[in-house]
Amino acid sequence: MSKFLRIPRSALPLMAGAVLAFGLIAAPPSIPAAAAQDALLYKGADRQKVLEAGAKKEGKLVIYSSLTVNQALRPMVQAFNKKYPAVKAEFWRGDTRQISQKVLAEIRANALQADVLESSGLGQIMVAAKMLEKFSSPLFAKIPAQFVDKNQLLAPSRFSYMGTAYNTKLVPTGSQPRTFEDLLDPKWKGKLAWRAHSESGDQLFVINVLQAMGDQKGEEYLKKLAGQKIVNFDGSARTLVNRVIEGEYPVALNIFLHHPLISAGKGAPVASFPMEPVPSIAGHLMIPKGVKRPHAAMLFIDFYLSDEGQNVLRKAEYYPVVSHIRPEENIAAVSPRVANLKENYVNVEDMFEFDKKATAILKKYFY
Amino acid sequence: MSAMIESDKPPRAAPDRPAGGLRAMLSMSPLAAIMAAVLILLMLPAVIYLVQSSFYETKFDGSFGAFTFRHYVELFTNDRFLKNLVNATIYASGSAAVAIFLGVVQAWIVERTNTPGRSFVLIISIISLGVPSVLYTISFLFLLGKTGPLNQLLMWMTGSATPVFNIYSLWGMIVIEGIEFAPLSFLLLSSVFRSNDAAFEEASMMSGAGIVTTFRRITLRLALPGVLALLILIFIRAFESFETPALVGRPGGVNVLTTDIYAAIQVEIPANYGQAGAFSVMLLLIVVVLLYWYGQLSRHAEKFQTITGKGFRPRVMDLGRWRWLTAGILVLMFFVIIGFPVGIVFWVSLVPYYDGVHMAALKLMSFAHYGTVFTSNMFQGSLANTLILGAASASIVAPFTALCAWFAVRRQKGGAVLDQLASLPLIFPAIVMGVAYLQVFLHMPILYGTLLAIIIASSVRYLPYGMRYSYAGILQIHKELEEASALSGARQATTFLRIVMPLVAPAMVTCWLFVFLVAVKAVSVPILLAGPNSQVVAVTIFDLWQNGVIGELSAMGIIWTLMMTTVSVGFSLLARRYGLNVR
Repeated sequence: MSKFLRIPRSALPLMAGAVLAFGLIAAPPSIPAAAAQDALLYKGADRQKVLEAGAKKEGKLVIYSSLTVNQALRPMVQAFNKKYPAVKAEFWRGDTRQISQKVLAEIRANALQADVLESSGLGQIMVAAKMLEKFSSPLFAKIPAQFVDKNQLLAPSRFSYMGTAYNTKLVPTGSQPRTFEDLLDPKWKGKLAWRAHSESGDQLFVINVLQAMGDQKGEEYLKKLAGQKIVNFDGSARTLVNRVIEGEYPVALNIFLHHPLISAGKGAPVASFPMEPVPSIAGHLMIPKGVKRPHAAMLFIDFYLSDEGQNVLRKAEYYPVVSHIRPEENIAAVSPRVANLKENYVNVEDMFEFDKKATAILKKYFY
Repeated sequence: MSAMIESDKPPRAAPDRPAGGLRAMLSMSPLAAIMAAVLILLMLPAVIYLVQSSFYETKFDGSFGAFTFRHYVELFTNDRFLKNLVNATIYASGSAAVAIFLGVVQAWIVERTNTPGRSFVLIISIISLGVPSVLYTISFLFLLGKTGPLNQLLMWMTGSATPVFNIYSLWGMIVIEGIEFAPLSFLLLSSVFRSNDAAFEEASMMSGAGIVTTFRRITLRLALPGVLALLILIFIRAFESFETPALVGRPGGVNVLTTDIYAAIQVEIPANYGQAGAFSVMLLLIVVVLLYWYGQLSRHAEKFQTITGKGFRPRVMDLGRWRWLTAGILVLMFFVIIGFPVGIVFWVSLVPYYDGVHMAALKLMSFAHYGTVFTSNMFQGSLANTLILGAASASIVAPFTALCAWFAVRRQKGGAVLDQLASLPLIFPAIVMGVAYLQVFLHMPILYGTLLAIIIASSVRYLPYGMRYSYAGILQIHKELEEASALSGARQATTFLRIVMPLVAPAMVTCWLFVFLVAVKAVSVPILLAGPNSQVVAVTIFDLWQNGVIGELSAMGIIWTLMMTTVSVGFSLLARRYGLNVR
């Protein structure tokens, strides 16, 4: 080992120098105390004017989002830039974890870049970390009341409805499982797959069952379900649906219900079935603590929730959040609002309340 | 041979004994000292962050909480760590064995035999290096999955109603990772085989030994340090690899250390940096032991130097009729490494949705996904960034490691330090490196989110690869050439520039090409370091994969692969024009 151990000794002075130099570079920059609250909660009649003037002074806007870039994020930001050329809006796309890692690290280092955050699942991380600013928009009035956050930290950015996908070659329509009880039928043993370690996958499935049946009955049911040897799939919901199309798994649980509809539209042998109660979750718009450009941020959130922004979302085959804009026809059939299905909206508080319980059950019976 | 070298030992060679800290520093040439300082400055903060994180609780906002030994205690009280360690070891050694086997066979056929069409093998390697690893792994899942063509064929042949084999298993991971590393293995080994003096083989053949015996007892023996170094490199790389374990292992319930790190950072809420840190420190220690072992192995490397001042000429062997067999092997390899994987990706890029390879899908084929790729500006903004990233990283790594390797091989003062420092980035699983460098650059607001930050991080990340190319290249050059230069009055710098550089140029060009190709397809590091204006193409591809848009992903993958192949073929043609033999 002597050969290797020699390094630290001979390199010691260098290392000391490096640490010193790094310490100098790393000295935290001072931040101006942001009086952001005024802009974020401004309710005056001249709101639009105040925001535009403030945003113009700020000159720039940075959005971190996990919307798909080509269909939704870029068109949305481009439309915003066209409407407000004085504000140069930029975006960075990452998934929930990447956004949270990046933005939390930025806040810790006093080097916040992002002004608006958008993702699903990110809300609970940011709320728990207490790293969000309160904000309010008159457009919240157009969103169904149950989806508006009482604490003013989150605004819904998109809805997702979860349910079953099945391969129509292997499981002819009509013979697909329709209820929780159906899933216990021995013929499905080894044929069901879900996304493991996923908030909108296995976790949400378990929470939905617990909420629908109660803790005790719910756990008894899940114990039986574990006997079906559900495949723990590791990957995105869309990828799992692709595996169903390929025939790798006949049935997938708790995927986004509109994905199979889009593929079926292209002729793929797949269909979706909304098992009631349909668990639904929302993606959220958020403003990180210590935001540098509050006016521009609010201007963007207003734009996102306006008819113009919502139509960009609709065209990208996301479900709009304002009541008066219908989703695209090809995916409307599984929207509980449109198809009149029993919906179980799982909000951020529910996620918190059931998180530990669901994880414990999953660890005990399924992993 | 070794006796000859003993007597050749120049008085100038530094004695291999430890020197005191400051004294060693002072006696280091200023250049070596500056290089070491740069390396330390680049890596130390990240290492500190890593070690620190393993001793603290992580709070919800990602900051450090209370000091704790909990993460280490948990490692050793939980049998999961041991189990995953065993899995990782089997997986890494298996992959290394597969890759080396494929690499040795190809390198030997290409460099040492007169097999027809052998120079085309280079193209296999270049195309394969141009395919993003996520796409490559996925292509094998298409090929070997339950509904893939191979299983379908075997089911038809055996009359079995269920799939014949399950790719989502440990051996599946080994095969896929091994094939993925075959081109790297070939590129590194071919430089080793090329520079072995053919005189030894000729002597063996003249003494009556056959081709097989000569290969086994002479060729392979001479290539031994190169092969072993490569074995360790691939072992380490597979040990810390992430894509294949995540895509192939996890669905099949096979976990390794990196997938646990991934789970701790990307699955748990809040991200458990503590546990990830503890895992990474364990990985670090394992890699340190491996590197030490590697150092021991290469200590006697002098015995294997074969480019000497005497007429050096590698020569190919006449295989006679056997050359058609070796040609057949090369064709087979072409299909396994490139033909089938790229073929299936091409197939997927043409069909509206993929549900296996069958005739009915032919009717649905169109170029629609390509149309989407071109009309939706998928490359917008990221193409230039990506090419700059690749070219800059490669242009930093290639000359830097050539110097490091020269210092190390010639046992100049500070050479050992440089060697170890340049190999140190191997300890960072890409995913941990992304997080560690994010912390580092956040403290440098000028760099944060810029392309330069990604270039720095990826140069650091690919230093060890550059080192292996350069090391292998310089190892083969006997010092008598430099001694001749020194005797003729040239200074150290002149010797390096006029004697060493031209001789290692082919290795450096290959090194440049390799770093370019791996840097442009990396995902884990750029994804966290990039800002709004420094996006790169590989991250776009990864996003498409995450969103499951496999049709467009495949179309974009094919276009990207074509572009990378063009870039690297163009580059090697250019290099050849200037007299560099790039193989």
